[in-house]
Amino acid sequence: MSDVVIRTEKITRAYSMGSDIVTALREADLTVHAGEFIALMGASGSGKSTLLNLLGLLDRATSGEYWLEGTVVSSLRRDELADLRGKRIGFIFQNFNLLPRLSAWENVALPLAYRQGEFGQQDQFNRAREALSRVQLDHRLDHNPTELSGGERQRVAIARALVTQPAVILADEPTGNLDSNTGAELMNLLKELNEEGRTIVMVTHDMNVARHANHIYQMRDGVLKESESSNVAH
Amino acid sequence: MSLTDLLRTAFRSVAANKLRAALTMLGVVIGVASVIAMLALGNGARAAVDATFKALGANQIQIGQRFAMEDGEFQATGKTLTFTDGLDIASAIPLVERVEMSVAKTLKARFGQNSLEINAIGTTADAFEGIVSGGEVQPVGWESGASLSADDFIGHGRFFSMDEVYASAPVCVLGYQTALDLFSGDDPIGETIWIDRTRCTVIGVLVELESTDIQNRYQSDPNESLIMPISTMILFLYEEEPSVYMTAYITDASGIDEAKEQITAYLREKHQIEQDVEGNYQDDFDMLTRKDILGQQQEAARTFSLLLAAMATVSLVVGGIGIMNVMLVSVTERTREIGVRLAVGAKQKDIVSQFLLESILISASGGLVGIVSGILAIPLAAALNQGVALLYPGSIPLAFGVAVLIGVVFGLYPALRASQLDPIEALRYE
Repeated sequence: MSDVVIRTEKITRAYSMGSDIVTALREADLTVHAGEFIALMGASGSGKSTLLNLLGLLDRATSGEYWLEGTVVSSLRRDELADLRGKRIGFIFQNFNLLPRLSAWENVALPLAYRQGEFGQQDQFNRAREALSRVQLDHRLDHNPTELSGGERQRVAIARALVTQPAVILADEPTGNLDSNTGAELMNLLKELNEEGRTIVMVTHDMNVARHANHIYQMRDGVLKESESSNVAH
Repeated sequence: MSLTDLLRTAFRSVAANKLRAALTMLGVVIGVASVIAMLALGNGARAAVDATFKALGANQIQIGQRFAMEDGEFQATGKTLTFTDGLDIASAIPLVERVEMSVAKTLKARFGQNSLEINAIGTTADAFEGIVSGGEVQPVGWESGASLSADDFIGHGRFFSMDEVYASAPVCVLGYQTALDLFSGDDPIGETIWIDRTRCTVIGVLVELESTDIQNRYQSDPNESLIMPISTMILFLYEEEPSVYMTAYITDASGIDEAKEQITAYLREKHQIEQDVEGNYQDDFDMLTRKDILGQQQEAARTFSLLLAAMATVSLVVGGIGIMNVMLVSVTERTREIGVRLAVGAKQKDIVSQFLLESILISASGGLVGIVSGILAIPLAAALNQGVALLYPGSIPLAFGVAVLIGVVFGLYPALRASQLDPIEALRYE
């Protein structure tokens, strides 16, 4: 069996809303091995984004344990989490989240720029160009996000997620803001990246998108269950 | 993030809102300009005082008849301060070593066919020493501040003695230009000239002199003068006893206040000045010491400086609050951007640095504009203050430092707020 990238044990996230306590995620157990493509499905408010935020180290669990590549993350301080997040996790968002005043390559190089002293200016540019060429956008290096189409923007965002060679790519409704053709192209790209060995965890509510994954999990009222339609044979 | 990256980010962000940044800078600009002008005034006042110090020694008291506004004109009040008063002060008050006296009048001088208007000065003999040591004029060709003796001022002949003053001797010393104009280049020593209807023998000629005080240089030419014993001038060239301008030399500078009191008491008695019903004296003379001049100069500069300091403080605080306000708006506008930066690995200090650098960039730019405006405003400040203002070089780094400090102090809170945003909420922000 390949290496375990993500493992959670009874991970729970509860919020206090005034006097009430709302449990968005209830004792979820999830294991993701290197090279897997996981889809998290569920209606909005089912807790799938909460789980993704926890996996992405953007949030802390109320209880339970989470190991990222064997590291217990609950004891890490805010800046240590930021460091780990920048190095080992790549994010793809529904609304792309590119910085409008930076060019395509600068957006892609941003995670490298925050790793103090590790990458020189030229090194950052080379790696950004490499990542952009992987998503067939090396002819758009100096374009601003506003000069790019929706599909191109999302490909820049994918390049940004790839540039650090992360342990896992977390995608939150990556096709949600794209038309169906562009969305299909993007899913093919993600599938290719998975076939090249990238580990991907994707949140979606679209079955057509989810079927590209080799494991599908269903979320309902904060409870995670592996779906019967999971393509385990893959 | 490297400093270069941070600086580039700050520049882009400020450049994207040029008008907003410019308006925000205004407070800092005014504040910094006020700091520059304020320090220039203080510096100018100090320079003016230094000049006065050279002219008026620590052991000197200047005494003159009091002038007051009467019927819309400045007029001498009370009794005339006479030559005899001066002689009496010197002999009656032990603390006073000697009293130099002078009078001045424009008169007509004639020799043969040549006749011209000259500035006639009647002095005591030792007043010449006062002119030499006073440093207000010096022979042409000497470096300013050079140590000079009375001999350096005499071109030909000699200056008159105190005995000639007591004897009202009809002798005179000519200024350089006066001698040239009256004698057309011939040697004037021993010749007799007419001053109005009085004859007088030329015993000396001064070298060419220049005023050391640039402001006074063109007011009166020290070379178009004629100097004679004050007694001779009063006796022959005035119809009425003139008021004399005196400088009393005190034996010991530490006794100057006591000497001032004694001279006051002496003159009040002599001029029969009584206390009025409120216990005040209506003196008909004024006295001035180095301390008095210092007080006046400093008071004028201090009042205006205080005004500028208040203006600087208010502008800088208002400017700082303006920067804080704009930075808070900027943080809110860029919540999503902060979320993205946090998601790709930015640490809290990265976000703090980014926003702090942006506010420093705004305040420092304001500081630079303020320094330039302040330097340009120095002549205006001098005119309003009716005084002198001189750029104080140290005020430039100081003002710039203050501007940067404003950026740090007022940018810190917005920057800290930005760094403490929750990444999930920031990413979700619309």
